[in-house]
Amino acid sequence: MSPNRGVVLNRRLIDYFDEAHYIPSLKSTTKDAVLDEMLQPLLRSGRIRDREIIMDMLVRREQLGSTAIGKGVAIPHGRSVAVPEMQVVLGRSEVGVDFDAPDGKPATLCFLIVAPPQDKQNHYLLLLGTIVRLVKDKKSRDRLHKAASFDEIRMLIQEVEPSG
Amino acid sequence: MDKTELLARIQDLDLMIHEVTDPASKGQEEGLGFAVIGLERLKEARRKLEEQVDRRSLSLYERVRSKYGRAVVPFQGKLCLGCFMTVPTSTLSRRKEGDELLLCENCGRILYWL
Ligand SMILES: [Zn+2]
Repeated sequence: MSPNRGVVLNRRLIDYFDEAHYIPSLKSTTKDAVLDEMLQPLLRSGRIRDREIIMDMLVRREQLGSTAIGKGVAIPHGRSVAVPEMQVVLGRSEVGVDFDAPDGKPATLCFLIVAPPQDKQNHYLLLLGTIVRLVKDKKSRDRLHKAASFDEIRMLIQEVEPSG
Repeated sequence: MDKTELLARIQDLDLMIHEVTDPASKGQEEGLGFAVIGLERLKEARRKLEEQVDRRSLSLYERVRSKYGRAVVPFQGKLCLGCFMTVPTSTLSRRKEGDELLLCENCGRILYWL
């Protein structure tokens, strides 16, 4: 990484990935239960307080249209006044979760992104775009699915993070 | 669910609806590959939430929203995160007295305890 990332990003996207917010093996198998399970690390680490409001927002976002983009990946996301700062939770599922994906494939990799409504640096869309780009690339996606550890996943994200 | 929580939910919904209908942000979700097909369902959900809020609070929400864009703002560390003024302790203590909305005395936004 270049030490000079310009003035736009004073926080790198990779900094939003925290091992405490990584679930290597999701227990839930339904969409709503997975959303709930993925909020738990944020509640435990005190990053969010009001589970219900955020959960409602995520469920409603799924009603707007599935956040599964196919090939085994889902990116549930949304903004809520109950989220103090943007948070990312990464979860993996061995059996897969039915996320109403366009290709019908169950999600084995879930990136949950929640953000506050105000986001002057537009990190939310940048991060969303970065993850979408990462998982749409077959090579990266295969590496993500096969990654044995959180560090491996983190490194991959670092590789595709837009610089400057 | 108290009044503030209801209005917070309405605002989250309004933001979601705005993001997929406003010309400036419309198409962003689809551009990333996400399906946007259930707008009517969101509007219906909003109507249902509205029914649970009294008319006075709802019109206050709409009024503040039309003035600032967002009516419900968090307050944290005694600061209104809408105008960044300190919320007086007297205002904070009123919160304990039931289901009244807490308003920033400086800007009039509805305060959500973050
Ligand atoms: Zn204020």
